[in-house]
Amino acid sequence: MKTLTFIAIVLCSGAIAGTILALINQGVVEPFLEKAIDLENQKAAAEGEIINPNEIAAYRLWQKGGSIAGGAVLGLSYGALFGLVFAYARNMMPGQNNTKKALVLAGIMWFVLYLVVALKYPANPPAVGNPETIYYRQALYVAMLAISGMAALGAGFVYRRMKSESRKFIAPAIYATAVIAAFLALPPNPDTISAPMDLVISFRVASAATMTVFWVIMGLILGAFWDRLKPHETTRIRTI
Amino acid sequence: MSFAEQITRAAQGVPKIAVGVLLGVLVFGIFMMGFDQGHLFSVAQGDQAYGDMWMHEFYHDMRHAAGFACH
Repeated sequence: MKTLTFIAIVLCSGAIAGTILALINQGVVEPFLEKAIDLENQKAAAEGEIINPNEIAAYRLWQKGGSIAGGAVLGLSYGALFGLVFAYARNMMPGQNNTKKALVLAGIMWFVLYLVVALKYPANPPAVGNPETIYYRQALYVAMLAISGMAALGAGFVYRRMKSESRKFIAPAIYATAVIAAFLALPPNPDTISAPMDLVISFRVASAATMTVFWVIMGLILGAFWDRLKPHETTRIRTI
Repeated sequence: MSFAEQITRAAQGVPKIAVGVLLGVLVFGIFMMGFDQGHLFSVAQGDQAYGDMWMHEFYHDMRHAAGFACH
């Protein structure tokens, strides 16, 4: 394997997909974030806190810059995982070329690392979320993420080991059992939602839409890089 | 007389160094972007970092948008 090429295309595709995610978020998710932050500020003002609109505007601009950086970091991180899994699982994926294979894997990882976790602990806008429960909520989120990820990994190993056709049912069944058990065993998000429900729902839909686009873009970019640069091949020139 | 022969072959497996680098990026990146509440800066800044929560504030919007726990 061409190690440097492999690492480079994996990190590049992640960073590009993450930056695109952040840019799309500026138009799709930010309006709901802004609305929620306005509500938060109105509440704080009503409670007697002095709010300086100029300061808030400058602060929000800084945070929007941070969200672009955050997209790049998120893309790098999930991209690194995606590239690793793709390197090991490429031969198991259906599709004639690597772009199709990468898209299938991106779909699986979107399901395992985003959708399943979001169904148990959906994204919330600001104004929802008690600062005091942050570590508890993070632990719940990580637990769900880890169980879903490990169950998928286990199902993948079983799929690769088994030779009979029944693996097409057994591997998903293993994953489903673990995830359903986690859904039932893990406690719900402890925070009560005080923000208007339609705002929360719209925010969740927007967030789900852009995260889906993120995974699709990452699959497309890594697959295209892979088809072009073929990092799994080693070329040797020898003289006879 | 000599010939140059080019052999292209598909190698199985992933080099350990690549696995190490990518897992490192994954763990450090996700922690910094999604979970840090002042931990990284507290190394230099001490307890004040947990009050400032620079990383939390900087990555705030993306934490919400990507579904991480935030407030």
